[in-house]
Amino acid sequence: MLEQLLIFTRGGLILWTCKELGNALRGSPIDTLIRSCLLEERSGAASFNYDAPGTAYTLKWTFHNELGLVFVAVYQRILHLLYVDDLLAMVKREFSDIYDPKKTVYSDFDDIFRQLRKEAEARAEEIRKAKQEDKPVSNNMGNDSGDGDDNAKGRKLEAHSKGSFVANRNAPAKGIANGKENGSSNNGAFDVNKLQKLRAKGGKKTDTIVNKVPKVETKKKITKKNRIWDDSPKESKLDFTDPVSENGDENIQIVAADQGESMMDKEEIISSESESEEDEEAEKGTKAETKKKGWFSSMFQSIAGKANLEKTDLEPALRALKDRLMTKNVAEEIAEKLCESVAASLEGKKLGSFTRISSTVQAAMEEALVRILTPRRSIDILRDVHASKEQRKPYVVVFVGVNGVGKSTNLAKVAYWLQQHDVNVMMAACDTFRSGAVEQLRTHARRLQIPIFEKGYEKDPAIVAKEAIQEATRNGLDVVLVDTAGRMQDNEPLMRALSKLIHVNSPDLVLFVGEALVGNDAVDQLSKFNQKLGELSPSASPRLIDGILLTKFDTIDDKVGAALSMVYISGAPVMFVGCGQSYTDLKKLNVNHAASSELSPDLTSLFVEVNHFNSVNFVSFAHNGILVYQIAERHPVTCKWRK
Amino acid sequence: MDTDKAEQLKAELQQWFNQAEQLIRQIPPNQLYAAVGIVLLTVFVFILVRVFKRTISNTVVLTGLSGSGKTTLFYQLRDGSSHQGTVTSMEPNESTFVLHSETSKKGKIKPVHIVDVPGHSRLRSKLDEFLPQAAGVVFVVDALEFLPNSRAASEYLYDILTKASVVKKKIPLLILCNKVDKASAHTREFIRKQLEKEIDKLRASRTALSAADITNEFTLGVPGETFAFSLCHNKVTVAEASGLTGDISQLEQFIREHVEP
Repeated sequence: MLEQLLIFTRGGLILWTCKELGNALRGSPIDTLIRSCLLEERSGAASFNYDAPGTAYTLKWTFHNELGLVFVAVYQRILHLLYVDDLLAMVKREFSDIYDPKKTVYSDFDDIFRQLRKEAEARAEEIRKAKQEDKPVSNNMGNDSGDGDDNAKGRKLEAHSKGSFVANRNAPAKGIANGKENGSSNNGAFDVNKLQKLRAKGGKKTDTIVNKVPKVETKKKITKKNRIWDDSPKESKLDFTDPVSENGDENIQIVAADQGESMMDKEEIISSESESEEDEEAEKGTKAETKKKGWFSSMFQSIAGKANLEKTDLEPALRALKDRLMTKNVAEEIAEKLCESVAASLEGKKLGSFTRISSTVQAAMEEALVRILTPRRSIDILRDVHASKEQRKPYVVVFVGVNGVGKSTNLAKVAYWLQQHDVNVMMAACDTFRSGAVEQLRTHARRLQIPIFEKGYEKDPAIVAKEAIQEATRNGLDVVLVDTAGRMQDNEPLMRALSKLIHVNSPDLVLFVGEALVGNDAVDQLSKFNQKLGELSPSASPRLIDGILLTKFDTIDDKVGAALSMVYISGAPVMFVGCGQSYTDLKKLNVNHAASSELSPDLTSLFVEVNHFNSVNFVSFAHNGILVYQIAERHPVTCKWRK
Repeated sequence: MDTDKAEQLKAELQQWFNQAEQLIRQIPPNQLYAAVGIVLLTVFVFILVRVFKRTISNTVVLTGLSGSGKTTLFYQLRDGSSHQGTVTSMEPNESTFVLHSETSKKGKIKPVHIVDVPGHSRLRSKLDEFLPQAAGVVFVVDALEFLPNSRAASEYLYDILTKASVVKKKIPLLILCNKVDKASAHTREFIRKQLEKEIDKLRASRTALSAADITNEFTLGVPGETFAFSLCHNKVTVAEASGLTGDISQLEQFIREHVEP
């Protein structure tokens, strides 16, 4: 049974809740949903899991972008309610009819809702019964599509375009990009067409789990199944030659138009690759053709601005944008999720007059990027250091990361910076594995004239760190910078050791050091690090990554995508940016410029902007797409310009 | 051929000019002067109106941390009740209306334009859109959960107090302690003192950075002296309110003070 269904405006006012389901929700699932999912640009995901002491809810939502409404359904996770998507779509439709911006009470909706719920439940029952009857037939069909499940529930999930629950058994369905390609083969079993028509508005491909701990799924299938290399569910189709056919809706209903669209898209993609500056023309061209109404009427529409944005309209613009993001070195997964999220927020919106779809999409994407890169919490390290100083404890920073990203080098840079601000720093050499690591830190310490705590090699890093902190407390030092050995995210014993180090010493800041050159691996690194830190920690509330240090920034021109991937996947802000090998090469990230450089093909203007970013001022020049920063330090050689 | 055409055009234009001149000559000079005078006058009045409009604004901005109760207060001001509750806002709420408590008053009352800016840290940039046109800013503080959030609240408040638009235009700021209907809520004096202390510390740590690093456009207070709200260029006051019960008289007073009725 549904726990609750809420309708609220984007401004925050609750318009309607179901009075029959009077259970008060434990904890605050809606606020958590908004804070950690919808505002984090993860609104393209299918569902959200909320765990509170004593309950485990799953939340599903849908937007009405034109009216600015959000519809959320909450139910217990152990119940696998299959009609929720259906119900949400119907509720959205009915409510939009009676919605009035001036009204704030909608008591007449209670009856309508009761009716809708009965209908939805009845239909779900029907489907389930039909499935159970056609079990043998459905199995064959499942095999055809290549990912058949032999239990009826699995079948139903395949048919769901939004197929997604976080139930272990049925998780394979999530691996399916969308049930629509299966839908085309299901005509015999039950009336998929009807289902899909009902879900026409909400149909999109989803294959992502929002929670941080993706479980390993085991599929029970008759046929040979895809091997799972890592712990994320794989997509069923390995053949990605025809991207448009994934829109099963079009497949079933408008076959003729499908042929035209796919060719259009291929051309469009080529044109967007070859001439990124002139994608306006390509966009206009595609718009005219996809609407099949002629160039004049689409021109007219772009001027009159009455077109309601549909998925199909957004598709080409979003794909072009995704390609552009990927050329800027954003991980593919992240670009995909971002595009989905932007699509979710633009669907159904009315196009303003004199605006093209591509400019609307671009504006929405830029806003989304700025929102993601804006840190959630303050990154004023000096303030935190002062706060710890008052409590007479040293501020402990642990640098973690994979091999060779620049932990020791950037540790020295951070030490230098802190020293400039009259903070007493101490280094702790907890990299007891790599030959020369301790000597390296010793050299830095000697050059900077700061104390170093070391115990040589082959010692337990956790113990070394603990003793270092004790020494710092004894000597009244302000900051302890702990250097750890680089380790691959898949290496279980090393990750366990790291988790132990963090658990035993409870540092104030866990800084993940990642290089800007990394591509798609950034996603894997960060998610695995966070996951392992969460899983392997013996405590109930494990410490996760608090901040990101982006290194080797001088090696990339304007391909700042790694910053975006890392921030998106971990939710941690970028605290420092390392851009060179000398002590002074440490900067902070300019959010607005990073966001706009992700989207712009080529900045040919030289402009200066003074930006305020969480209390750190910096002047940035952008010339030909190359971002240049001024160093946030008091050192006389502060101003550096890059040509 | 082209030169011929150009000459033809020139000749035609000449003809037009001559005709126009003749027409104008025909009009008696008085009428001409009157017409020109009227045009100039309307332009002048137009400019005046634009200039005046800029100085008188009826916008009040509600801001504060996420969860402090801004949306509830917004709806209390507008409708007199907070309806069925609120969730974290994702977008600003703005509307122009006559305060609910004054709808029963007779006479013409000027409506007020109230903007409720979301407090979530990712949406902070929305505040900059509305500050330039604000006649007053209300910073809502959660008096119940004050101590855990005091650092974040003081940082936000510090950022607002040092923005150029606030300092230059001396926009009055009201620190509103919300949720005072609960028994364990802190008093306004306590909150004021805590905020002053935290901002003092912030001042020290922010100005410790080099001149090149100063983010905030202005510094607060006098260096060397402990910070107090009375030292700010713009007027800062503290008041109490309760969004749920509807006790918002001090807030309304502030609004009425700074938006001409």
